[in-house]
Amino acid sequence: MSFEIPIGPQHPIHVEPLMLRLSVEGELIVDVDVDVSYIHRGIEKALEVRPYIQGLYLVERICGICNAAHSLCYCLNVEQLLGKEAPPRAKYLRIVVEELSRIHSHLLWLGHYFHTLGFETLFMYFWRDRERVMDMLELITGNRVTTAYNTIGGVRRDLTPEVEQKLRRTLDYIEERMRYYEKVIDSEPTILARTQGVGILKPSDAVRLGVVGPHLRASGIKHDVRLDDPYSGHDEIPFNVITWDTCDCYARVKVRIKEVHECVNMIRYALDHMPSGDYRLKIPPFFKAPPGESLSRVEAPRGELVHYSISDGSDRPYRYRVRTPTLANLLSVVEMLKSRDGYEVYIADVPAILGGIDPCICCSARVVVADEARRRRTVMTLDDIIRISRDRGVERR
Amino acid sequence: MSMRIPGRLITEALKNLFKKRATILYPYRELDKIHLPEGFRGRIEFDRAKCIGCQLCFRVCPAKAIEMIEDEKGKRPIFYIYRCIYCAQCVEVCPTKAIGMSKIFENIALRKEDMVVK
Amino acid sequence: MIEKILATIFFPGAVFLLAVSLFYEWVDRKLYARFQNRVGPHLAGPFGLLQPVADFIKLLSKEDIVPMAADRLLFTLTPILASALTLFACMFLPIAGPTGIISFKGDLIVVIALLSIYTITVYLAGEGSNNRFASIGAERAALQLIGYEIPLTLSLLSAAIAAGSLSVGGIVEAQAERGLWLIVGPQSIGFAIFVISSQAEMKRIPFDIPEAEQEIVAGWEVEYSGRRLALFRLSKDLELILLSGLGAAIFLGGPIGPVIPGLEPMLYTIYFILKSLIVLAIFTLVRALFARLRIDQMEFFSWKYLMPLAVILIILTEVIV
Repeated sequence: MSFEIPIGPQHPIHVEPLMLRLSVEGELIVDVDVDVSYIHRGIEKALEVRPYIQGLYLVERICGICNAAHSLCYCLNVEQLLGKEAPPRAKYLRIVVEELSRIHSHLLWLGHYFHTLGFETLFMYFWRDRERVMDMLELITGNRVTTAYNTIGGVRRDLTPEVEQKLRRTLDYIEERMRYYEKVIDSEPTILARTQGVGILKPSDAVRLGVVGPHLRASGIKHDVRLDDPYSGHDEIPFNVITWDTCDCYARVKVRIKEVHECVNMIRYALDHMPSGDYRLKIPPFFKAPPGESLSRVEAPRGELVHYSISDGSDRPYRYRVRTPTLANLLSVVEMLKSRDGYEVYIADVPAILGGIDPCICCSARVVVADEARRRRTVMTLDDIIRISRDRGVERR
Repeated sequence: MSMRIPGRLITEALKNLFKKRATILYPYRELDKIHLPEGFRGRIEFDRAKCIGCQLCFRVCPAKAIEMIEDEKGKRPIFYIYRCIYCAQCVEVCPTKAIGMSKIFENIALRKEDMVVK
Repeated sequence: MIEKILATIFFPGAVFLLAVSLFYEWVDRKLYARFQNRVGPHLAGPFGLLQPVADFIKLLSKEDIVPMAADRLLFTLTPILASALTLFACMFLPIAGPTGIISFKGDLIVVIALLSIYTITVYLAGEGSNNRFASIGAERAALQLIGYEIPLTLSLLSAAIAAGSLSVGGIVEAQAERGLWLIVGPQSIGFAIFVISSQAEMKRIPFDIPEAEQEIVAGWEVEYSGRRLALFRLSKDLELILLSGLGAAIFLGGPIGPVIPGLEPMLYTIYFILKSLIVLAIFTLVRALFARLRIDQMEFFSWKYLMPLAVILIILTEVIV
């Protein structure tokens, strides 16, 4: 006979409130129920009453860790509406800060993940190295977390040679530390016992549930927005898309560690081949965007981030919609947490599995209910997304 | 793939016994160890002499932390530090560079009146 | 007679043990922090030495909430029983002489039995809380007991066979006679098994499964607060002295060491504390190096590796001695 254990809304493994109701028999989990509405903040509504330049700083605060990705996606969106494109130097500078923030996010996740597995020493080491990355972000942008680096038409500051020197030294340090950590993780039996074979998500299930980001790449599927839809000069910078075939939590750790190496290489390439010129276009702070709609996608550290906006010709968006990667990955948690024949999930695996998707729940509480009808679709075209948003917008009026 | 040796972290752990700690003992002892870079976005600084009263900063602030008041020379902004989100958009938009950002990051006070930059 | 009572209350009895247990907690926390490149306690008292005292006093002053549907008897009895059992077991340690305050033939078995009763007390504490997380924690504690108890007993018993005596004082005397610590020789395997099983006994990483903070909040002690929690934490600190002292006495020769004239009366205590600090340092190092295991993995590890090793050790000891 089973009884229910609530993991959440307040729980030491959650950084934000999330309700996971588990039905367990002994230590085996048999059923799961998810509720993600605890941290809805009304950001999409708040964006509709602010001019575009003010909305930039609001969008940045949707998530503290992916703030560079959110502000980049917003800027791409508005630039698309205005029909303008950022100059080449701005594109490369945007890549530098975006990849630096990806390194920061992965280091944070790795530290937090090992903390939930009980390995506090590695947690402290990862976060000590993360401090160096944050110092770099502070040097380049002026603030450790909410970087406010992107603006509509480019970036707000330039990169000086002294800053570049320090950045290169930090990159060398990070690379050397990641190699050491990878060796430790590969050879530590307690870590391997807790992550290998845990939280299996088959590639077919991953595609069916609409999973994105490193979580998808850990199931062996090669999909990355920077490769498929290059948005800021990514087609000029060579990089590898990391995948791993074992589809378990160990794969997720490996993918993210190797992605840090890729980020370091991308930043070095961008610094070596930085084009000269302007780093921002001259766009007045208050403008009226021409009527239309635009969709922009960015590879946030957690996966594919989508911003969609409709403009009606005024200086504020008529409707702004954000689809974060964690919302897409949460359904797979439900799938991975249920015990089936030959695959057993214990309560002790909940932190490993939930943490494996890199949950940023404050990002994801945007829409409260996942529609049953929407869940049955396997492929959604751009027209589908537009039609659904437009119908909801009309209903709201 | 390396061999499974348990406790590989032991060399690092033992080395760390003798290395200096990574923690900065702020705020009790090591206040001088905090290095803030140039361009750090801290508390707002305002130069009344350069302000021309164009109200651009008031219109652009995302947090509504700026209010325009009249004084003997004309319109000018006052800044509510308790609302400021340190985005530096007002700094960027000011045509005469009358607004700047200092390196002060300990912006708390016991009374609301102390949290206003005039 | 009066001497014995004074010894039991003050030195090396209750007051001394309580003070030293808080000191050991400081050593554990400080070492753990230094392994991780952090500071550890540094504000309360010089070098943070008074931090465990501050924590204890703070807990005593907090509100003591008993859940409505909890078993009042168990809720009140288990903290007292836990600290009393560990305090009593510490009386067998040879702190102020070659034998403890209490010493008789076969008292090693009594110490091992006290450790098992302690874990059963933990199980009762969890079950009496009427809380799902506490039930799971209690059940995990009982499962863990099944895993580590036999290797722990066998490792201590093989040392007893090698020394030829079943009392803690007797083993210390045997080491003094031979002039050789038991750890030199096949008993080093016994020491390794002892270190691993005591980590499981004390419910520390990699075996802190019953109180896994990240999975079941605080496990079996989740509903305790105020004085009851203070007593449980005290029992954990006393367990630190008990197991590190047991390791020092049985494998490292206990309070025996080269004689320094002039320091005669304090020598036993000084050597005992130094050696048990070494064992404590090893415990802390093990705590810093590993991730937490799952309960089924812990059982597999214990029965696949520790148990056969312990049995081989007993056979080896029988053959050699």
